[in-house]
Amino acid sequence: MQTRSIKTKELSALLDQLRAAGVEIIAPARAPGVGRAVVYRRVSGFSDIIMGVQPRGTLKEHFLPASERILGWRRGGAHLELLEASTDCAPRIVLGAFPCDAAALEVVDAVMGWDYRDEFWFNRRQATIVVSIACDGGDESCFCHAVGLSPGSTRGADLMFVPVDGGFQVEVTTGRGQAWLEEHQEYFSEAGDSTQAVAFQERATTRSSQRPRPHMESIGRWLKNNFQHDYWDQLALRCHGCGACTMVCPTCHCFDLVDEPEGPEGGSRRRNWDTCQAATFTLHASGHNPRPGQGARYRQRILHKFSIYPARFHELLCTGCGRCSRVCSSGMDMLELLGEIHDMASITEPTTSPEARNEP
Amino acid sequence: MSNQAPSAARGPSADNATFEPRIVAFVCNWCTYTGADLAGTSRIQMASNVRILRLPCTGRIDPLFVMKAFERGADGIIVSGCHPGDCHYIVGNFHARRRFRVFRELLDFLGVDPERITFSWVSASEGGKWAQVVNDTTRRIREMGPMESWPRASTALDDDLHG
Amino acid sequence: MKELQDLARRLLLEGRVDIVIGYQQGPRGVRPSFVTRPEQADALIFDERCVHNLVTYLSPRRAHLAAWPRRAVVVKGCDTRAVAVLLRESHIDREDIVLIGLRCGGVHRSAEASGPLTAESVAFRCADCSIREPELVDHLLGDPRPAPPGNSRLAERIGQLESMSHEQRREFWNNEFSRCIRCHACRQVCPMCYCERCIADKTRPRWIESSAHLRGNTAWNMIRAMHLAGRCVGCGECGRACPVGIPLGLLNRKLAMVVDEHFDYRATDDPEVPGPLGSFRSDDAEEFIV
Ligand code: SF4
Ligand code: SF4
Ligand code: SF4
Ligand code: SF4
Ligand code: SF4
Repeated sequence: MQTRSIKTKELSALLDQLRAAGVEIIAPARAPGVGRAVVYRRVSGFSDIIMGVQPRGTLKEHFLPASERILGWRRGGAHLELLEASTDCAPRIVLGAFPCDAAALEVVDAVMGWDYRDEFWFNRRQATIVVSIACDGGDESCFCHAVGLSPGSTRGADLMFVPVDGGFQVEVTTGRGQAWLEEHQEYFSEAGDSTQAVAFQERATTRSSQRPRPHMESIGRWLKNNFQHDYWDQLALRCHGCGACTMVCPTCHCFDLVDEPEGPEGGSRRRNWDTCQAATFTLHASGHNPRPGQGARYRQRILHKFSIYPARFHELLCTGCGRCSRVCSSGMDMLELLGEIHDMASITEPTTSPEARNEP
Repeated sequence: MSNQAPSAARGPSADNATFEPRIVAFVCNWCTYTGADLAGTSRIQMASNVRILRLPCTGRIDPLFVMKAFERGADGIIVSGCHPGDCHYIVGNFHARRRFRVFRELLDFLGVDPERITFSWVSASEGGKWAQVVNDTTRRIREMGPMESWPRASTALDDDLHG
Repeated sequence: MKELQDLARRLLLEGRVDIVIGYQQGPRGVRPSFVTRPEQADALIFDERCVHNLVTYLSPRRAHLAAWPRRAVVVKGCDTRAVAVLLRESHIDREDIVLIGLRCGGVHRSAEASGPLTAESVAFRCADCSIREPELVDHLLGDPRPAPPGNSRLAERIGQLESMSHEQRREFWNNEFSRCIRCHACRQVCPMCYCERCIADKTRPRWIESSAHLRGNTAWNMIRAMHLAGRCVGCGECGRACPVGIPLGLLNRKLAMVVDEHFDYRATDDPEVPGPLGSFRSDDAEEFIV
């Protein structure tokens, strides 16, 4: 595919033009309100965008919102009228997705199109051009390099921007991206000298590869064999079961369906994010809970990501973004626990030595 | 509590003269309910905007009820029970007094005018006082206009906040 | 540090407790530590990053801790107020727990902070702390520390909000609450949120809608604040845990001011003092009642 470049000024003009044409722009920007954290949100122009800070919230909420109405009902005399919520999505562009977040969209596509095709998800996917921005290598909680990605991974992105002086080098990675670029080609210039972009990517790769690299296949095997293990209860002692880790996770996709009466005349069926970390996630009407404690619930999260999902869809349900570790108020750490499991696996699998996980 | 689609009289630009407030009264079984009954059987004239919900005691009136009433379209609330010292359960109204002190302050801090709520002591013999509470509250809420600061339940609402 | 580690070791060796809950270094700053074997006691630390209120691990809701019924917990002075509420509300027996008190000089708002405390970094609750040397404890460790730098941002912000019109305040909170994603992390970390089944999880009827729309979020945040009124100890854990940064401390502090002003109640480490909403005075003011 092609490589091009774009100047900051041109990008800004392009965004203005897109907005004028009714395209919604989603980009990292400060959330309104007191916290002012950087999140992916609708922006009105280039000046709102904050690049280079991994957003605290995830991109997924623009594809699977925290709460959305999927059906309505209204009473009309003796009838009950059902109102299907529209699954249409107006054209959008995500600008500045982190590579781990862009990749997560593709990871989740697998389950969203598995036994049932989720129209809400896929219509939004189809209406959205994803432009990612190469990452500078992340922080101590990142481990994209251990899950088959990298700070410069283009998975899930139609185009990727690499920061260079005065603008970005643009790598086109999909046919869709190519078509989109051609549509707006007046804003782009020739690729030019790639030295800076290459150097940026090399620096990022060096940084990320210095962190531990737990071996995912042996972890997966250990998980299969150790459903019953003291490790789980010990591990979960500090966990509050708050689920913040799953809410901010770009690959977690669990939802609950609720019917909300909104007075005697009607109501809505909504789907809301849910989390396996909550006791109510598996609570039966009888009062029985097959996952009675936090140990069992925490195990579910790890198993789903590193054993169940890979068994069904042949890939990990984790892009190593490190958000779960950053958000956890009790200091649970994904990379640390993967290292611990790696070490336990190394006892039964000599090829997985404890040293191996620290090899760059 | 009905939940009709907003009619002209309830819209944001509602003329307060034509606006008919919806008021929900949570009252205790022993004093105020009996007092309200007395007001009715004595044929005292009162505004017809108040719908009464009877509970055992003001001590059972949870701020949740008020919240739910606002969600479902109430413009004003009356909470009423026995005078201090007369509670059928001895202390329920003393607890309610503290609870609603705090709840009013909370509402105020959240930007909801606590004047949307009337708290009164109305005994079984105070039919006239009940009528006055009803009339005063209705007049006050009418002046305040429709409750607009509460996120209402409405099938027309499709507030996808996180989009 | 050695004093703390030695004590923890001794409590475990002598079989006095099954577990010591304290602080340790984690991959990202300080985090809670669960020491079940004497040899693990060396991991325990205490410094100005120990912001967490570990009393939450005494809450009866923590089913997965039931296997370790006799617990020792490291507490700062402010944390002992949470113990007092659990005692007052009959949720723990004083005999079952060992409280290891540490003399405190204030903590950072973030467990990942580094360097000395500054007016910028210090936790809101430390500003006017009067309990830096805990009393409701079995052991008191550490050297006396200097008072932390003051910080009045919380009070100032409350003042700002109070000076606004209702509409402006409503707008402020709508803006905040609309970001809530209903994870209930604020509840899960709270030492005072010990209910087996929270009102927000009840479905028959569903009082508080679980949807993260403004209506459900307003209901949740309002009722959470109400349920904590007069019980909240101001530890700030709810706000620290909130993944979207809603300033829950403003609500909690405001209601703390209300119960102080009207019922002369301030969070205390004395379990004998009744909670302001579990008690009353027959002459409580009632100028708002007709
Ligand atoms: S790991 Fe952390 S964020 Fe996740 S549920 Fe447990 S306490 Fe919450
Ligand atoms: S599990 Fe953690 S590191 Fe993996 S994708 Fe989710 S938030 Fe990121
Ligand atoms: S880890 Fe838990 S919340 Fe995340 S997708 Fe799996 S089951 Fe759902
Ligand atoms: S409400 Fe917040 S500040 Fe109050 S006790 Fe609970 S966690 Fe601490
Ligand atoms: S922690 Fe924050 S986002 Fe989660 S439910 Fe509480 S207020 Fe809402």
